[in-house]
Amino acid sequence: MRHSLSIGLLAALPVMGWTQDRLISGPGSTLTENKCRICHELEHIRRAPLSRGEWADNLRNMKERGTPMSDAEMATILDYLSTYYNRDKPAPLPSPDTLASRDGVEGLIQKNGCAGCHALGEPLVGPSFRQVAAKYAEDGNAQGKLANKIRSGGQGVWGSVPMPPNPGLGDAELKTIVAWVLQQK
Amino acid sequence: MDKPGRAGASRRQFLAGVVGAGALAAMGEALAQAGEAAPPGTIGNDAIKAEKAKSMQFHSERPLTGSVPAHEHDFDVTPSERMFVRNNLLTPAIDIESHRLTLKGLVDKELSFSVFDLAKNFRSVSLQGMLECAGSGRSAFQPRASGTPWLETGGMGCPLWGGVRLRDLLRAAGLRPGAAHVAGHGGDPGMVPTAAPVIRSIPLSKAMEENTLVAWAMNERPLPFIHGYPLRLVVPGWVGSASTKWLHTLMVLDAPFKGTYMTGSYIVPRTPVAPGEKLPQDTMSAEAWPVKSIITFPAPGSRVRLGERIAVRGRAWVGEGSVERVEISTDEGKSWRNAELARRGDRYAWRRFILDYRPERAGYTTFLARAWDDRGNAQPAVPGWNPLGYFWNGWHRVGVVVEA
Repeated sequence: MRHSLSIGLLAALPVMGWTQDRLISGPGSTLTENKCRICHELEHIRRAPLSRGEWADNLRNMKERGTPMSDAEMATILDYLSTYYNRDKPAPLPSPDTLASRDGVEGLIQKNGCAGCHALGEPLVGPSFRQVAAKYAEDGNAQGKLANKIRSGGQGVWGSVPMPPNPGLGDAELKTIVAWVLQQK
Repeated sequence: MDKPGRAGASRRQFLAGVVGAGALAAMGEALAQAGEAAPPGTIGNDAIKAEKAKSMQFHSERPLTGSVPAHEHDFDVTPSERMFVRNNLLTPAIDIESHRLTLKGLVDKELSFSVFDLAKNFRSVSLQGMLECAGSGRSAFQPRASGTPWLETGGMGCPLWGGVRLRDLLRAAGLRPGAAHVAGHGGDPGMVPTAAPVIRSIPLSKAMEENTLVAWAMNERPLPFIHGYPLRLVVPGWVGSASTKWLHTLMVLDAPFKGTYMTGSYIVPRTPVAPGEKLPQDTMSAEAWPVKSIITFPAPGSRVRLGERIAVRGRAWVGEGSVERVEISTDEGKSWRNAELARRGDRYAWRRFILDYRPERAGYTTFLARAWDDRGNAQPAVPGWNPLGYFWNGWHRVGVVVEA
């Protein structure tokens, strides 16, 4: 029973409130939000600003505990946290998250929180983008179905894990994301 | 604690408790499915909170953490509804019928038991023992340390535990040469498949101590889900994380377990560091709590009458050894007087202290409590800062208003 738990379980990112809780906007803020709130509230970050060295230890610890993040992502998050949540110096004023909007589709995927649960090749909380593309490969109506799924959220296609809806996603952005996901074979 | 009369009665009660727990298992499934946002196979926070006292304050939802303030701890035996809540991961709904505890590693033979097998084949014991989260009191540290913001006085409790001695199980399996540590593996699941399992190990000497239990009961009832149902370790006096909840495997090892919950958390600098410094290379595992006390009556901000006696009281404990003395100061530490200490109970239980006090002047009056152990250690005014904010045991201070 234990073992069947671990995969089925991933759900439960409390669907409500998942996207409302934000950190101070700045380069790397979206990535930081997406990775940290997989397991805990962002209040844990706001409550106790740390030194850069302590943030480095903290991130290493979180990675050991299982946070799915690459070394490059970890470096971005470390820079962000030790700039905006540093005990030793005041935070700069909020600024646009240039890292989230930089690279077209990948920026969209970061900005909209997709990357908290989905990666290219490996299933995280949800299926990988490649798995999604493979599933719809033979489906003539793939674009409409996937767009609807992203916009409205859903449950049941990949198991009982619910995907939160994304009502705020613009039509153009949605189309871009759908086209990109379906190419990932 | 060998108490023949009590042990006999307790055994019957616990067996009854275990049988009753079967029904609870079914309830767990139902709760898990009724589910708010609870993932399949887990217990949602709402169901857990419903079993807790109204005075419990929840410090975070993910993971769920909560405690009651000191003045809500004015009990010799902590009621289950006031026992602190602290998970690293999610709360599993485990079926007691199919649950097994496996002993492996440096043992002569691997053994596997159901909870019922344990109750049937080993001597049941009942004892009171302190559990306290390593980070209890963390929010009192300056600068703030990362982690659950436990209140200065939150994150501990001293209920009555029922189960079997860990050493009896280890002896039944037979220890092989080189056995040095025993690791408990908990069944709590994470949010992602990559989540590291919660595994902590304790030295063999502590595992063989007669008060270290594999427990299935708390306060003569099956363990609540949040406290490890159906089976957990109880390593009283030591940091709470040593007492693995949802225990399914015990591994006998030749060295401390190497994993994130041993090497990345629950560690303190071997040499004290300045406040705000990062963890040094040389650290040691957080084990027994230093001597500590809380004032449980009166509550902060209470109003008392000039000239009327009040019983200032609280609870004192230490992770290893014994509490020798508790002192109270009503002049911010200039002078101290001894409180009366209740008779010593189980080895790792907290002890009540009382000071009969008659306010001599009107206005704001404060009480400070300072406990001493049998090795001459006293609670410090401000304990040593450490990067992860463990072992806060500073003097507890409560202020009241004396009305003329």
